[in-house]
Amino acid sequence: MPLVIFVDDSETALASTRMVTNSMPIEVKQYTEAQTALAEMQGGMTPDLIITDLNMPVMNGFEFLKALREVPATKRTPTLMLTTETKPELKQQGKALGLTGWIVKPFNPAQLKQAISRVLRLPA
Amino acid sequence: MMMLDSIDELLNHIKDVQLDVIELSGESLMKMSSFIEKNGLEIDEDISTALQYQDIITQQLNATIEAIESMKKSIEVFSHAFKSDEGLAEQSVVKLREKLQKTLEEAKEKKSRFSGKHAAEHADDEIEFF
Repeated sequence: MPLVIFVDDSETALASTRMVTNSMPIEVKQYTEAQTALAEMQGGMTPDLIITDLNMPVMNGFEFLKALREVPATKRTPTLMLTTETKPELKQQGKALGLTGWIVKPFNPAQLKQAISRVLRLPA
Repeated sequence: MMMLDSIDELLNHIKDVQLDVIELSGESLMKMSSFIEKNGLEIDEDISTALQYQDIITQQLNATIEAIESMKKSIEVFSHAFKSDEGLAEQSVVKLREKLQKTLEEAKEKKSRFSGKHAAEHADDEIEFF
Protein backbone atom coordinates (compact mmCIF):
# COMPACT_ATOMS: atom_id res chain seq x y z
CA MET A 1 0.00 0.00 0.00
CA PRO A 2 1.22 3.54 -0.69
CA LEU A 3 2.72 5.27 2.34
CA VAL A 4 1.33 8.71 3.25
CA ILE A 5 3.06 10.86 5.86
CA PHE A 6 1.13 13.49 7.82
CA VAL A 7 3.03 16.14 9.79
CA ASP A 8 1.19 18.52 12.12
CA ASP A 9 2.13 19.78 15.57
CA SER A 10 -1.51 19.44 16.61
CA GLU A 11 -2.56 15.96 17.79
CA THR A 12 -6.17 16.92 17.21
CA ALA A 13 -5.48 17.93 13.61
CA LEU A 14 -3.79 14.58 13.05
CA ALA A 15 -6.81 12.82 14.55
CA SER A 16 -9.08 14.64 12.07
CA THR A 17 -7.01 13.48 9.08
CA ARG A 18 -6.77 9.94 10.48
CA MET A 19 -10.56 9.66 10.69
CA VAL A 20 -10.87 10.66 7.06
CA THR A 21 -8.12 8.44 5.66
CA ASN A 22 -8.72 5.28 7.70
CA SER A 23 -11.04 3.85 5.04
CA MET A 24 -8.52 4.43 2.22
CA PRO A 25 -6.17 1.76 0.83
CA ILE A 26 -3.09 3.56 2.14
CA GLU A 27 -0.62 3.20 4.97
CA VAL A 28 -0.51 6.31 7.16
CA LYS A 29 2.26 7.52 9.46
CA GLN A 30 1.79 10.66 11.53
CA TYR A 31 4.31 12.98 13.17
CA THR A 32 3.88 15.96 15.46
CA GLU A 33 7.39 17.24 14.67
CA ALA A 34 8.73 17.80 11.15
CA GLN A 35 12.30 17.14 12.28
CA THR A 36 11.34 13.63 13.45
CA ALA A 37 9.68 12.83 10.14
CA LEU A 38 12.69 14.22 8.29
CA ALA A 39 15.08 12.06 10.31
CA GLU A 40 13.06 8.96 9.35
CA MET A 41 13.26 9.88 5.68
CA GLN A 42 16.97 10.61 5.96
CA GLY A 43 17.18 7.13 7.46
CA GLY A 44 15.60 5.51 4.42
CA MET A 45 11.82 5.84 4.72
CA THR A 46 10.35 6.59 1.29
CA PRO A 47 6.78 7.87 1.44
CA ASP A 48 4.61 8.15 -1.65
CA LEU A 49 2.98 11.36 -0.43
CA ILE A 50 3.74 13.89 2.30
CA ILE A 51 1.05 16.15 3.77
CA THR A 52 2.34 18.81 6.14
CA ASP A 53 1.13 21.77 8.16
CA LEU A 54 2.86 25.13 7.66
CA ASN A 55 2.93 26.80 11.08
CA MET A 56 4.87 24.51 13.38
CA PRO A 57 7.47 25.22 16.07
CA VAL A 58 11.15 24.30 15.57
CA MET A 59 10.77 23.45 11.86
CA ASN A 60 7.92 24.97 9.84
CA GLY A 61 6.39 23.50 6.71
CA PHE A 62 8.58 25.45 4.29
CA GLU A 63 11.78 24.55 6.15
CA PHE A 64 10.63 20.94 6.15
CA LEU A 65 9.94 21.07 2.42
CA LYS A 66 13.38 22.57 1.69
CA ALA A 67 15.05 19.86 3.78
CA LEU A 68 13.03 17.13 2.02
CA ARG A 69 14.34 18.31 -1.32
CA GLU A 70 17.89 17.78 -0.02
CA VAL A 71 17.20 14.10 0.72
CA PRO A 72 17.71 12.03 -2.47
CA ALA A 73 14.82 9.67 -1.66
CA THR A 74 12.30 12.51 -1.18
CA LYS A 75 13.66 14.97 -3.72
CA ARG A 76 10.56 14.54 -5.88
CA THR A 77 8.03 13.13 -3.42
CA PRO A 78 4.64 14.82 -3.94
CA THR A 79 3.96 17.15 -1.01
CA LEU A 80 0.74 18.92 -0.05
CA MET A 81 0.46 21.79 2.42
CA LEU A 82 -2.51 21.50 4.81
CA THR A 83 -2.84 24.81 6.64
CA THR A 84 -5.08 27.63 7.85
CA GLU A 85 -3.03 30.08 5.76
CA THR A 86 -4.75 31.46 2.66
CA LYS A 87 -2.34 34.18 1.51
CA PRO A 88 -1.49 33.95 -2.22
CA GLU A 89 2.15 34.95 -1.55
CA LEU A 90 2.59 31.95 0.75
CA LYS A 91 1.11 29.66 -1.90
CA GLN A 92 3.55 31.11 -4.42
CA GLN A 93 6.42 30.49 -2.01
CA GLY A 94 5.29 26.90 -1.65
CA LYS A 95 4.96 26.47 -5.38
CA ALA A 96 8.51 27.81 -5.89
CA LEU A 97 9.76 25.24 -3.38
CA GLY A 98 8.19 22.41 -5.36
CA LEU A 99 4.95 21.97 -3.46
CA THR A 100 2.32 19.83 -5.23
CA GLY A 101 -0.74 21.57 -3.85
CA TRP A 102 -2.37 23.66 -1.11
CA ILE A 103 -5.28 22.62 1.12
CA VAL A 104 -6.94 25.12 3.45
CA LYS A 105 -8.25 24.02 6.84
CA PRO A 106 -10.87 23.08 7.75
CA PHE A 107 -10.66 20.63 4.88
CA ASN A 108 -13.57 18.90 3.25
CA PRO A 109 -13.13 15.13 3.88
CA ALA A 110 -14.24 14.14 0.37
CA GLN A 111 -11.88 16.69 -1.18
CA LEU A 112 -8.95 15.48 0.92
CA LYS A 113 -9.65 11.88 -0.12
CA GLN A 114 -9.88 12.93 -3.76
CA ALA A 115 -6.61 14.86 -3.55
CA ILE A 116 -4.77 11.89 -2.03
CA SER A 117 -6.28 9.53 -4.62
CA ARG A 118 -5.35 11.89 -7.44
CA VAL A 119 -1.72 12.23 -6.36
CA LEU A 120 -1.33 8.51 -5.68
CA ARG A 121 -3.37 7.57 -8.78
CA LEU A 122 -5.64 5.33 -6.75
CA PRO A 123 -8.63 3.80 -8.52
CA ALA A 124 -11.82 5.87 -8.04
CA MET B 1 2.65 51.55 40.05
CA MET B 2 0.08 49.31 41.74
CA MET B 3 -2.23 49.70 38.77
CA LEU B 4 0.34 47.99 36.54
CA ASP B 5 0.67 45.14 39.01
CA SER B 6 -3.11 44.64 38.88
CA ILE B 7 -3.06 44.63 35.08
CA ASP B 8 -0.22 42.08 35.17
CA GLU B 9 -2.21 39.84 37.53
CA LEU B 10 -5.27 40.13 35.34
CA LEU B 11 -3.26 39.21 32.24
CA ASN B 12 -1.81 36.20 34.06
CA HIS B 13 -5.32 35.12 34.98
CA ILE B 14 -6.60 35.44 31.39
CA LYS B 15 -3.59 33.46 30.16
CA ASP B 16 -4.21 30.70 32.72
CA VAL B 17 -7.87 30.45 31.74
CA GLN B 18 -6.96 30.23 28.07
CA LEU B 19 -4.39 27.50 28.72
CA ASP B 20 -7.05 25.53 30.63
CA VAL B 21 -9.53 25.99 27.77
CA ILE B 22 -6.92 24.77 25.25
CA GLU B 23 -6.26 21.68 27.35
CA LEU B 24 -9.96 20.88 27.92
CA SER B 25 -10.84 21.50 24.30
CA GLY B 26 -8.02 19.19 23.15
CA GLU B 27 -9.06 16.47 25.60
CA SER B 28 -12.66 16.79 24.46
CA LEU B 29 -11.72 16.29 20.82
CA MET B 30 -9.38 13.39 21.54
CA LYS B 31 -12.15 11.62 23.49
CA MET B 32 -14.58 12.09 20.61
CA SER B 33 -12.09 11.02 17.97
CA SER B 34 -11.13 7.99 20.06
CA PHE B 35 -14.83 6.99 20.23
CA ILE B 36 -15.29 7.49 16.48
CA GLU B 37 -12.17 5.49 15.62
CA LYS B 38 -12.88 2.71 18.14
CA ASN B 39 -16.35 2.18 16.71
CA GLY B 40 -15.23 2.48 13.09
CA LEU B 41 -17.64 5.34 12.43
CA GLU B 42 -17.32 7.29 9.22
CA ILE B 43 -17.47 11.05 9.72
CA ASP B 44 -19.27 13.38 7.33
CA GLU B 45 -18.25 16.88 6.28
CA ASP B 46 -20.06 18.64 9.14
CA ILE B 47 -18.48 16.47 11.83
CA SER B 48 -15.07 16.76 10.21
CA THR B 49 -15.38 20.55 10.14
CA ALA B 50 -16.54 20.64 13.75
CA LEU B 51 -13.53 18.56 14.82
CA GLN B 52 -11.15 20.76 12.86
CA TYR B 53 -12.56 23.92 14.44
CA GLN B 54 -11.00 22.72 17.68
CA ASP B 55 -7.57 23.04 16.09
CA ILE B 56 -8.40 26.56 14.91
CA ILE B 57 -9.64 27.47 18.41
CA THR B 58 -6.33 26.25 19.88
CA GLN B 59 -4.27 28.25 17.38
CA GLN B 60 -6.34 31.39 18.02
CA LEU B 61 -6.02 31.07 21.80
CA ASN B 62 -2.28 30.44 21.52
CA ALA B 63 -1.98 33.60 19.42
CA THR B 64 -3.79 35.65 22.06
CA ILE B 65 -1.53 34.13 24.74
CA GLU B 66 1.47 35.34 22.72
CA ALA B 67 -0.12 38.80 22.62
CA ILE B 68 -0.62 38.71 26.39
CA GLU B 69 3.02 37.75 26.94
CA SER B 70 4.12 40.58 24.66
CA MET B 71 1.90 43.05 26.60
CA LYS B 72 3.30 41.82 29.91
CA LYS B 73 6.85 42.33 28.69
CA SER B 74 6.11 45.87 27.45
CA ILE B 75 4.43 46.79 30.73
CA GLU B 76 7.37 45.36 32.68
CA VAL B 77 9.85 47.48 30.71
CA PHE B 78 7.70 50.57 31.26
CA SER B 79 7.30 49.84 34.95
CA HIS B 80 11.06 49.43 35.36
CA ALA B 81 11.79 52.71 33.55
CA PHE B 82 9.15 54.53 35.60
CA LYS B 83 10.54 53.26 38.89
CA SER B 84 14.12 54.14 38.03
CA ASP B 85 13.46 57.66 36.75
CA GLU B 86 10.08 59.38 36.82
CA GLY B 87 11.44 61.88 34.32
CA LEU B 88 11.54 59.11 31.77
CA ALA B 89 7.93 58.20 32.39
CA GLU B 90 6.41 60.39 29.71
CA GLN B 91 8.84 59.07 27.12
CA SER B 92 8.19 55.53 28.30
CA VAL B 93 4.43 55.95 27.99
CA VAL B 94 4.86 56.79 24.30
CA LYS B 95 7.04 53.72 23.80
CA LEU B 96 4.58 51.54 25.71
CA ARG B 97 1.73 52.75 23.53
CA GLU B 98 3.73 51.96 20.38
CA LYS B 99 4.61 48.48 21.61
CA LEU B 100 1.01 47.72 22.59
CA GLN B 101 -0.18 48.95 19.20
CA LYS B 102 2.35 46.65 17.49
CA THR B 103 1.19 43.74 19.64
CA LEU B 104 -2.42 44.44 18.65
CA GLU B 105 -1.54 44.56 14.95
CA GLU B 106 0.37 41.27 15.16
CA ALA B 107 -2.48 39.64 17.08
CA LYS B 108 -5.03 40.77 14.48
CA GLU B 109 -2.84 39.48 11.67
CA LYS B 110 -2.58 36.09 13.38
CA LYS B 111 -6.36 36.00 13.90
CA SER B 112 -6.77 36.26 10.16
CA ARG B 113 -3.96 33.80 9.35
CA PHE B 114 -5.15 31.11 11.74
CA SER B 115 -8.82 31.16 10.77
CA GLY B 116 -8.46 29.25 7.51
CA LYS B 117 -11.60 28.94 5.43
CA HIS B 118 -13.66 30.06 8.41
CA ALA B 119 -12.62 33.68 7.80
CA ALA B 120 -11.48 33.67 4.18
CA GLU B 121 -14.63 34.45 2.21
CA HIS B 122 -12.93 33.77 -1.10
CA ALA B 123 -11.70 30.32 -0.08
CA ASP B 124 -13.74 27.41 -1.35
CA ASP B 125 -13.46 23.66 -1.05
CA GLU B 126 -11.29 23.30 -4.12
CA ILE B 127 -7.81 22.04 -3.39
CA GLU B 128 -5.28 24.07 -5.33
CA PHE B 129 -2.81 22.00 -7.33
CA PHE B 130 0.30 23.65 -8.74
